[in-house]
Amino acid sequence: MIEKPAMTEKNIIIKIKRQDKPASSAYWQTFEVPHRPFANIISCLMEIQKSPTTGNGETVSPVTWDSNCLEEVCGSCTMLINGQVRQACTALVDNLTTPITLEPMSKFPVVRDLQVDRERMFKNLKKVKAWIDIDGSHDIGEGPIMQDQDRAKRYIMSECMTCGCCLEACPQFTMDNSFLGAATFNQVRLFNLHPTGEMKKEERLDAVMGEGGITDCGNAQVCVEVCPKNIPLTESIADIGRQTTWQAIKNLFTK
Amino acid sequence: MAKSSKDEIHYLLLKLHSLTGIVPIGAFLVVHLCVNSLRTVGVWPYQLSIDAINNLPFLLIIEITFIYIPLLFHSVMGFYVIHLGKTNAHRYRHPRNGLYTLQRVSGAVVFVFLIYHLGTTVAPKLWEGKHYFEAAPFLIDILNGEFQTWQGMVIYTIGIISATFHFSNGLWGFCVSWGILIGQNAQRNGAIVFAMVGLALTVLGMATIGEFNMNPVPVEATVAR
Ligand code: HEM
Ligand code: FES
Repeated sequence: MIEKPAMTEKNIIIKIKRQDKPASSAYWQTFEVPHRPFANIISCLMEIQKSPTTGNGETVSPVTWDSNCLEEVCGSCTMLINGQVRQACTALVDNLTTPITLEPMSKFPVVRDLQVDRERMFKNLKKVKAWIDIDGSHDIGEGPIMQDQDRAKRYIMSECMTCGCCLEACPQFTMDNSFLGAATFNQVRLFNLHPTGEMKKEERLDAVMGEGGITDCGNAQVCVEVCPKNIPLTESIADIGRQTTWQAIKNLFTK
Repeated sequence: MAKSSKDEIHYLLLKLHSLTGIVPIGAFLVVHLCVNSLRTVGVWPYQLSIDAINNLPFLLIIEITFIYIPLLFHSVMGFYVIHLGKTNAHRYRHPRNGLYTLQRVSGAVVFVFLIYHLGTTVAPKLWEGKHYFEAAPFLIDILNGEFQTWQGMVIYTIGIISATFHFSNGLWGFCVSWGILIGQNAQRNGAIVFAMVGLALTVLGMATIGEFNMNPVPVEATVAR
């Protein structure tokens, strides 16, 4: 049985970086919520939403955030908690130093308060054709069988939830460049390793061999440190490095 | 999606930046440190090696095509690569992230050091027209002087350590970005091997400047004009 932490009377102070509109400037507000055992950041935000009153008694507009699954599988609640990127739903208050600071991710445009627009990630998935073509207007028949060791390798890679942690923490990924980032390279490896997906291998490699592509990785390897799913992102990056290198050599002699 | 030639050029330039770091620049660094370390064996073998280099046919053309142009290209691209990212090692304190920052800092330090180093050695050599057997006594005289001041020792210590770090950490980066070291174990083991390479080169460099500092011996030209 899990031992319950003792109930305490103390309040938790939460500082939140807020922003009303995509174009407006950010400002900080401080809130206090009663301490509850096992509380996570989302439950604290819900508590604040009940009556959004700042530390100095001022009633303000409710803080907005994104969340969905509440079990670290959708990635929508990703934000900076005490300056580090992670999911709010699995950030337990008891494990955090107080006062707790909450900020929206800094590498994506803010929609409002803690909500950001991660469209760049989804656009990147389209760029690299992160899917497997199935039947079109006619049946193209059965696909080849996947080797069991490839299936095992792909499983962990497939757990990516496009949360954006790896990109937020990456020194090469900034708002004013076009870097594709670890999550995208991992998808290229995932689909190139699929026996049917492999048919589009060259197109995927082509898409990561340009501006913002694989050459722009600086091997700081923070991506793999912050990935909540423990995806071997740096292995994926190095593997795409190998695949693109061979592709470039091949292009040199055949194109 | 049609790919623009801009993308192809970008890929090629960054690959070339990576490659020039190993050959010819990295290879030159290793040879340069090894040749200079002959100074610890004695002035005579040291002078012989400088004589050999300075009597190579087409020396200036070799230097320009295999050292100066690649170095300038690698440096210009290096500053471009630095501008692409924004270091965050203060926020995400992981060893690799620190090395990422240091790779950039050391590159910039090496750049400044090389301007100084070329300015005090190669530039006066060319300016004064000291070629063939005349180069060695001229250069050795300059170096003997440089290592007698603590400022000279500090500049060379920082310059050499920056270069050996940048090269050995760069070797690792090269092996990862070209897909030679893929698995996490392979990457870690590679890092250990390259750290030892870096350490060995640093020892070589430090021993050389130490010898110069403690034992400045003037020499005569091996063959008089
Ligand atoms: C002694 C001279 C130098 C040597 C031997 C050298 C060697 C290397 C090597 C082997 C790499 C690894 C390539 C890779 O990551 O794939 C590298 C990377 C790099 N070099 Fe140099 N370099 C030198 C001078 C410079 C200078 C003067 C600069 C100017 C700023 C510079 C900037 C960089 C940068 C920024 C990287 C990182 C690339 C990345 O991580 O994406 N280097 N260098
Ligand atoms: S709400 Fe889905 S990951 Fe947190």
